[in-house]
Amino acid sequence: MSTMAPRPAQPTSIPVFRRILVYGSVLAAGIAVVGAVVGGLAAGAEGVVSALIGTLLSVVFMGITAGSILVANRFAGTAAAIGAFFGIVMGGWLVKFVVFLVLMVLLKDQPWIQPVVLFLSIIAGVVGSLLVDVFVLMKSRMTYASDITLPTAAHDD
Amino acid sequence: MDATTVLAAINGNIATVGYGLAAIGPAIGVGIVVGKTIEGVARQPELAGQLQVLMYIGIAFTEALAFIGIATYFIFV
Repeated sequence: MSTMAPRPAQPTSIPVFRRILVYGSVLAAGIAVVGAVVGGLAAGAEGVVSALIGTLLSVVFMGITAGSILVANRFAGTAAAIGAFFGIVMGGWLVKFVVFLVLMVLLKDQPWIQPVVLFLSIIAGVVGSLLVDVFVLMKSRMTYASDITLPTAAHDD
Repeated sequence: MDATTVLAAINGNIATVGYGLAAIGPAIGVGIVVGKTIEGVARQPELAGQLQVLMYIGIAFTEALAFIGIATYFIFV
C-alpha cells in the first residue's frame, strides 16, 4: 500500500485468512486428483465426476467462512464494524448451508453421481480443510495485542 | 388409536429427521463460539485479530459436523 492516506485500522488476522484460502485451494487440487483416481478405479466415470464435485463442494463451502471474514474485515474501523462483521459472517454461514442442502437434494438422484464416492470425497475435503486451518493457525505469528493504536503526541490535547 | 398404531402409520423419509438432529449440535456450537467472540471483542478490541482467527477455527470445526451430517443423506437413504 503506497498511498499515505489514513486508513482505518485493519485486523491483523487478514494475512492468516488469505493463507488459509491459498493453502486450502492447493489441498483441494490434491484431494481432487487423488479422489478422481480412486473414484475412477472404484466406480468408473461416475466415480471421477462424483469425486471432483464432492471435493469442490466441501472445499468451497469450508472456504466461504474465511472468505466472508475477509470481506467483513473491510468494514473494520467503521461505526458499524461489529454488526457488519457478524452479520456478514453469520449470514454467509446460513446462506451457505441452505445452498449446500439444496445442492444435496438436487444431486441425490442424478444418474451420473456415485453417492458413496461423493460422500467420501466430501468428508476428505472437510477433514483436509480442517487440517489446513489448524496448520496455518499453528504457523501464524500474531502478536498478543495486535490491533491497537497507541496514542501519539498529536492527539494528546 | 393407541401410540403404537400412530407411530406405525408415519411414513416418509426418516433421514430428514436426521438432518434436524445433526443441526442441533453445530447450531449450539456456533452460537457459543460467536457469542463469546463478541464478548471478547467488546472487552478487548485490541485482540480482535486474534479472536477472529480463533473464532474461525471454532466455526470450522462445528460446521464440519454439519457438513458431514448433511452429506450422510447420500449413503443412509
